[in-house]
Amino acid sequence: MQNIFERENVDVAWCPGCGNFGILKLIKEVLEDLAVPKQQIVMVSGIGQAAKTPYYVDTNMFGGLHGRALPVATAIKAANPELTVIAEGGDGDMYGEGGNHFLHTIRRNPDIIHIVHNNMVYGLTKGQASPTSQQGFITKVQVSGVSNEPFNPLGVALSLKAGFVSRVNIGNYAHAKEVVKAAFIHRGYALVDIFQPCVTFNKINTYQWFKENTYILDDTYDHTDFDKAIKKAFETMPMPLGIIYQDKEHHATFEEHLRGKDTRPLYQTQHDLSKIQELFNGY
Amino acid sequence: MTIEELKKYNGRNGSKAYIAYKNVVYDVTQSPLWQEGEHEGLHYAGEDLTIQLSGAPHGEEVFKNFPVVDTLEAYESQNSTISSLPWTFKMKVERWYQKYHPHPMTVHFPIALHLFAAGLDLLFLYDQKEAYALSVFYTFLVATIMGFVAMIPGILSWCVNYNLSTYPPFIIKLIVSILTLILGILNIGIYLENPDIVYSSSAFGIIYHGIVLLTGLSVIVLGYYGGKITWGDHSKMKTGQTIKDIHENEGILLKIPEEKNELLKQQDHQGLAILIGGAAGSGIDTIEKILSEAFKAYGYYVFSTKEFMSRVRGGSNSTLIRISDTPVHAPCWKVDVSIAMDEASLEHMQERWRSDTLVFADMEYSHNMPDIIPVEMKESAKKFGDLRYINTYMAGFVFGLLKLEKRALLESIGNHLKDDTLNVQVADEGYGAGTNVENITVAKLPQNNKQIMENLHLMDGTTASGFGFLAGGCNMVTSYPMSPSTGVLNFMASCSEKFTIIVEQSEDEIASLNMVLGGWYAGARAMTTTSGGGFALMGEALSLSGMTETPAVIYLAQRPGPATGLPTRSEQGDLNMAIYSGHGPFERIILAPGTLEECIECGYLAFELADRYQIPVIFLSDQHLADSMSTIGQIDFSAFEQHRYIIESDKAYKRYAETEDGISPRSVPGLGEGLVCSVSDEHDEVGQITEDHETRVRMIDKRSRRREMLHANAILPKISGNGNIAIIGWGSTYSAIEEALSLLDDPHLCHVHFSWVHPLGEKQLQVLEAYERKFVVENNADGIFADQLKLHGIKVDDMILQYNGFEFFADELAIMIENAVKEW
Ligand SMILES: Cc1ncc(C[n+]2csc(CCOP(=O)(O)OP(=O)(O)O)c2C)c(N)n1
Ligand code: SF4
Repeated sequence: MQNIFERENVDVAWCPGCGNFGILKLIKEVLEDLAVPKQQIVMVSGIGQAAKTPYYVDTNMFGGLHGRALPVATAIKAANPELTVIAEGGDGDMYGEGGNHFLHTIRRNPDIIHIVHNNMVYGLTKGQASPTSQQGFITKVQVSGVSNEPFNPLGVALSLKAGFVSRVNIGNYAHAKEVVKAAFIHRGYALVDIFQPCVTFNKINTYQWFKENTYILDDTYDHTDFDKAIKKAFETMPMPLGIIYQDKEHHATFEEHLRGKDTRPLYQTQHDLSKIQELFNGY
Repeated sequence: MTIEELKKYNGRNGSKAYIAYKNVVYDVTQSPLWQEGEHEGLHYAGEDLTIQLSGAPHGEEVFKNFPVVDTLEAYESQNSTISSLPWTFKMKVERWYQKYHPHPMTVHFPIALHLFAAGLDLLFLYDQKEAYALSVFYTFLVATIMGFVAMIPGILSWCVNYNLSTYPPFIIKLIVSILTLILGILNIGIYLENPDIVYSSSAFGIIYHGIVLLTGLSVIVLGYYGGKITWGDHSKMKTGQTIKDIHENEGILLKIPEEKNELLKQQDHQGLAILIGGAAGSGIDTIEKILSEAFKAYGYYVFSTKEFMSRVRGGSNSTLIRISDTPVHAPCWKVDVSIAMDEASLEHMQERWRSDTLVFADMEYSHNMPDIIPVEMKESAKKFGDLRYINTYMAGFVFGLLKLEKRALLESIGNHLKDDTLNVQVADEGYGAGTNVENITVAKLPQNNKQIMENLHLMDGTTASGFGFLAGGCNMVTSYPMSPSTGVLNFMASCSEKFTIIVEQSEDEIASLNMVLGGWYAGARAMTTTSGGGFALMGEALSLSGMTETPAVIYLAQRPGPATGLPTRSEQGDLNMAIYSGHGPFERIILAPGTLEECIECGYLAFELADRYQIPVIFLSDQHLADSMSTIGQIDFSAFEQHRYIIESDKAYKRYAETEDGISPRSVPGLGEGLVCSVSDEHDEVGQITEDHETRVRMIDKRSRRREMLHANAILPKISGNGNIAIIGWGSTYSAIEEALSLLDDPHLCHVHFSWVHPLGEKQLQVLEAYERKFVVENNADGIFADQLKLHGIKVDDMILQYNGFEFFADELAIMIENAVKEW
């Protein structure tokens, strides 16, 4: 049977073999498994190849500006806490152009799922370095190789006390699905950094490369131990996959903090005009 | 003047030498201590020395001797204080060194001793007693040692204070002192080798005495050049003349420029205008609130506004309070009463005095200014244990001076100050002092009417705008603070406890407007507050609002630019940016209220229009409108109908469905069976990305189709007067133009005020056709609105522009209008 989140009549703009296809399939399957009505889901994205994912999922979407998905997603969740809100995009979108929002969204802790397709390259603009590109990576712009230290989203998220920090490789489909599902279930901000090979513009970080340079954290790893998580976040070659950290305790989310128990969508609320009158008369 | 202008007066190459201290600019050109614009090789003319003075061996009293030429306008880096500077160890040493000057402390010993040794030696040569010989040697010995001791800090001083300057006196001093030291050591050697040499006339004997006498001369040279370095060249000062004389001869003491005064006398303002000056943080804000409310309670129409520097403490700020028996809503430049709460403010306010302005200042600095009436404010405040009581004391004083019944004042104090008992006492004492001022009557005291005033409300433009936004149903505010817009953010935050309003301080303005769009997309009525610099960052998101047809409300309170400009001053400079910001074609509305009533109306309308037309609406205010307080009549809030222009979607819902008027019914996620898809790329009716060229054209046409509706529903300009000469204004200039025209009382003039400034439609422009002549009044340098009119084919005869950081003052504007019109 066809997945209910399959969108009809769309012309998918990805290259054959791209890791994005796996992620799209995974998202649709997870949404179906969680049985959330599609009218209650909003996918928010920026601009990029990865950011096109919402165009191919049959649900509400707000395709915003490059780098700006997170503030939009945060506000949607606050305006209607009953919605399930996903912010999705590429590494350049989320960690580069939107880097400042990444930091402050973690601090706000809205109950949203943050999915970042990490292909270590700019796909849509045809192959420049991204914040997560490995040192030495040669492009038409970085002609003598990337010299900047790669951005470490896990380390950054942990340093800001994100409640759910994870990394998966789309090459390990079943494992990735488990983790993404856990991210949906987590109450509060949840980061999933997904390794996604770009077959067209990144000939270094291929399916094979990700396979060789990652390993899956096994059951003996306690992902509620913050100190251990910090260590894991900085491990390289191989890089750990799985839930790196999940806070045992629930911390009030952005919308809980602002609205308390009131989860009414804001379009249902109205100010009491007599109260405005009263306030005005006090001047 | 600004810090940049100040830099030009560096005293070099024949230019004048000015320095600034605590925002006052002094002329030090004549000072022998400031030759070629340098002081002690440490400080340079053309600079603000406020912070540096703390390292000087003298206090601020020295500035009193210099003529004052101007005030220094606020600039950003001024905010850094000594304590916030990162002091390294090296800097600490330098600072200690600059403050204590160890070289002058030690150098007097060797000078005196060498001279003494030389004198004694002359005595010895005359009468060769052994006692003299011994005294000469030991004095010389100690002189040489002390010479060495003085040289070390001297050289250090040269490095630290004078940066190894090659100014001749330094070089001469260096050579002479090294020579003196070498000769000294040589001489000591000669003597110790054979003390009897002093009696012999051998070569060594002659050398010994020669050196003793020579060093006596060399220290005179050292002393002379030392003096020259410290005190500069005295030759330019006439004998017997002090610095103070120079200053007084030039007549710099507070003086009112006469001609301008004559002009203004004819164009006076209505009611009574009181100007109160003081430093930031000295409580003039409080005094403004207390007095404004008290005057209103007593039965006067009140207008008040403040003029302040971009800093939290110090500086020189002032607040203007006008009271009248007819409504007042604009500031005037010349005042009837001026009260200085500190000395700097006297200087700051003087250009606003007429010859008959009553000026009050503390005893301490009023004595040398003949026309100033001394008030014992400092002493009285001190009696209550805190100088900060000056503000309450002076509030009482003003009420007493005007002989108004004090109940209204004391009640107002109770409303505004927490520990009111002591404040009430202080005010009471001030009131007493005010009533005791003799031989002075305040001529223009207006008539009060408590009944009328009871039905009016006193508030600033910020608050009125806030009420408008509340009435418009605003329930989400996401902003990054920026003067002068922050007041509305504060107001909305203060309301968030009584009403369902989400208020979030965003990480930057980019996030602010993107959050606003997220909010509207999900069904909120969201807005952001910002000023020019912040709005500049919002361009892309504004464009996103246009493309996704997501409503947005932006409260843009203007301040002078470019860049950070004058953060606390006023200008109508952002209209072009508001009209053209954002790439690509899309519709927007710009509202620019001019009165408190219009602030409420436009605040409400901003949300209504944004929601109805699915476009961004920019509410243009400015520092003047935001921060000025006056009275507003009763507003019936039940008249503000609450609409929500959103529909429940069905399964086939298309967010961008083609319609006749271009407006596609808007639904929100979760409301109905359908899905709401919005994208920033060009899209089809469903909201799916497309590059089909026909769809592109259809979509642009659809989005722009609503322009006709905007034109049809635009607010028409407000007209007052029947003349055939139009004085055209927009936004916050409304009240100043109204008052200026009433002062001019010329039947040919007519005020045409635009509160809907974009888009300009035929209906609005037709209104202008009736006028023979058109003058545009704008608080900016370029005549931005005049350009818009010209673009729409309107002939503008002349522009009356002001861009000095101040809003228009009614009395001055009257003259400007008169002059402009006269020329035609
Ligand atoms: C303000 C702005 N700057 C630049 C761009 C151009 N741009 C679009 S996507 C992109 C980077 C895409 O890289 P990434 O986010 O890693 O996504 P990918 O395409 O690799 O999935 C850039 C630079 C833009 N759309 N907007
Ligand atoms: S460019 Fe790279 S990331 Fe984009 S679709 Fe092609 S393979 Fe995937």
